[in-house]
Amino acid sequence: MSKILRVNMNDLSFKWEKVKPEQEQLAGRAFTSTIVSTEVDPTCHPLRERNKFVVSPGLLAGTSAPSSGRLSVGAKSPLTSGIKESNAGGITATKLGRIGVKGIIIEGAPPKGTTDWYIIHVGKDKAEILKKNDYAGIGCYEMIAKAWKDFPSKPGVIGCGVAGQRLMKAAGIFGNNIENNDPGRYAGRGGIGAVLGSKHVVAIISEDTGGAVPTAKDKTLFESGRKALAKALDTQAVTGVLKDPQGKPFGALKNYGTAVLINILNEAGGLPTRAFSAGRFENAAKVSGEAIHELVDKTKAKFGDKAEGKYGHPCHVGCIMACSNAVPYENTGKMHVSPLEYETTWSLGPNLGIDVLQDIAELNRLCNDLGLDTIETGNTLAMLMESGMIKFGDGPAAIAALKEAYNPKSYLGRLVSSGASSAGHVLGVTRIPVVKGQSLPAYDPRPIRGIGVTYATTPMGADHTSGYTIAAEILGIKGKVTDPRELKKADLSRAFQATTAYIDSTGYCLFIAFAVLDIDEGFKGMTDSVDAFLGKKIDVTEYGMKVLKAERDFNKRAGFTERDDRLPEFFRTEKLPPHNVTFDVSDGDIDAVYKGT
Amino acid sequence: MNSRRIEIHLYGALRSLVPDSRPDEDTVLRLDSISNETFGGLVARLGLKPSDLGDCFIDGTLAKPSSLIPEGARIGLFPFNMVLLCGGQHLKGHGYTHTDVDVDYY
Repeated sequence: MSKILRVNMNDLSFKWEKVKPEQEQLAGRAFTSTIVSTEVDPTCHPLRERNKFVVSPGLLAGTSAPSSGRLSVGAKSPLTSGIKESNAGGITATKLGRIGVKGIIIEGAPPKGTTDWYIIHVGKDKAEILKKNDYAGIGCYEMIAKAWKDFPSKPGVIGCGVAGQRLMKAAGIFGNNIENNDPGRYAGRGGIGAVLGSKHVVAIISEDTGGAVPTAKDKTLFESGRKALAKALDTQAVTGVLKDPQGKPFGALKNYGTAVLINILNEAGGLPTRAFSAGRFENAAKVSGEAIHELVDKTKAKFGDKAEGKYGHPCHVGCIMACSNAVPYENTGKMHVSPLEYETTWSLGPNLGIDVLQDIAELNRLCNDLGLDTIETGNTLAMLMESGMIKFGDGPAAIAALKEAYNPKSYLGRLVSSGASSAGHVLGVTRIPVVKGQSLPAYDPRPIRGIGVTYATTPMGADHTSGYTIAAEILGIKGKVTDPRELKKADLSRAFQATTAYIDSTGYCLFIAFAVLDIDEGFKGMTDSVDAFLGKKIDVTEYGMKVLKAERDFNKRAGFTERDDRLPEFFRTEKLPPHNVTFDVSDGDIDAVYKGT
Repeated sequence: MNSRRIEIHLYGALRSLVPDSRPDEDTVLRLDSISNETFGGLVARLGLKPSDLGDCFIDGTLAKPSSLIPEGARIGLFPFNMVLLCGGQHLKGHGYTHTDVDVDYY
């Protein structure tokens, strides 16, 4: 990838920049976080002209490496006031990779009072800023349909919905899926959708007509690496093929999606239920990955070729793990929403005491249409329930509250789009599950303390993907550290955060970690493919730590201190059933994660 | 429930141990408790092999082959392809999906 598009929304101009030598190895999260940390004043208001919105496809996006089409977006977050990177599948990363675009940087903002809205249209050796007021103020489903009508090459579309256009802190960046029938490929976290909205940009449209598959510097090593990784992915029980040779369900992700975790976390007693008040939900089975699988099969049997439900659905071209799904309406077999993932199922289901799968799917669809992050919105609705405004378990009431977000004059609509921290404080809630202003995802940190340390210390605010715990095992078993028992908690947390930062930059989906953990050849395939593409051997930890240091440094300059690396008080004082434990990791242990780095 | 019994919650392919089970409902097998029975012993009693299993739990704690099963316990039994994806990897080291049973990541 050889060029960077820099857009100035002050005067609606743009220019192409050559990639500098020091940027050659940067992509995905490494690129967005480097740009934000070096070009954005950490003290700036995140929703004014001095913030920048940065897009970058992962290093291997557009290549034939399996499951490597992730796209990163970054900015100073209006939710956390710190640095933010969020990534997703979809088709934009592949398009940008194939036209050689390493990144898009959107800076400035139109003059105050501007009522016009714009799209950025990017193609091979071309770009334009187009006024498109008809793309604003509409649902994201309608917007992506309009984009494919206006641009017949079936482009990648990312952007912000009405939530982002109104500068709401729970706004995410949507992305269209391969079929363009759902905007559900979300880089959801951190309120980044509002940053794009503050630039008066509703969408970035990417076309790859005339483009080409990026080539590796060492083609032979790249080919052997990607094949080894693909083989590992196909043969491993979590990431593997749909059925075994006997026709029985094999790969967990293909069959049950990420929501396979609902039952597992429930049994482990770590599934946050009713606003983090219990670790087990009595009706978890009704909303599990197995229940979604059953619903798809049932509607296929009933409606035949007209059924639109799916599992084993890829989130981007070339993803062979295919953990996405399309959830059907039970009574028609037509698609309701795609995807319904673990975090979303949890945030809009057990977290709210809701056990009706169709209600959860509808809440998800509304979030996708409005441009809202499902994790943040689920936690925000939980604040309404915690305060007694809505009863826990009342799906129709939650749906009605969320529909208020369409109405620009509705105070409730603004509240449900504002994030859990804002809503919780407004509603007088004292149990607000946030770190650095961002709400916790679907793993209670009391029985699962390792992830709690990640929530506390990641520069991103509470975020499970920032310190994807499995990475600790990858490092421990296959990296420099030969025996993970020699590592202390702080070392482990730092190690897996660094590894995550590396994977977030390569374009690979984090879920490849399963196969590379279990299968040595898969791990080598991953690193070989990256090294071969760059023509240089990369040290995983060193690369990841460099990204983390840039992010931590940004936050430090923004005014963050160790006191911000803390979980809310109630996790330390309220015991979580069924284990009846509190989060008891000492402040000293938490602070040790980054001490001296 | 009767404290002399144990309650086994079954998932995925293991639901077939209970006739007419459904994947969108709880599938529970109730058995008599055996004094000093280990998790490995229970797995054998059910006619299963360790390779059939993924992450399994005894009262919410990850089960290892040597773990004793108390009376009245709730067992969560997952098949080989159902394991913690993230956020719980430190709980691994139970000897089923990984061989190093002594590793405790946290």
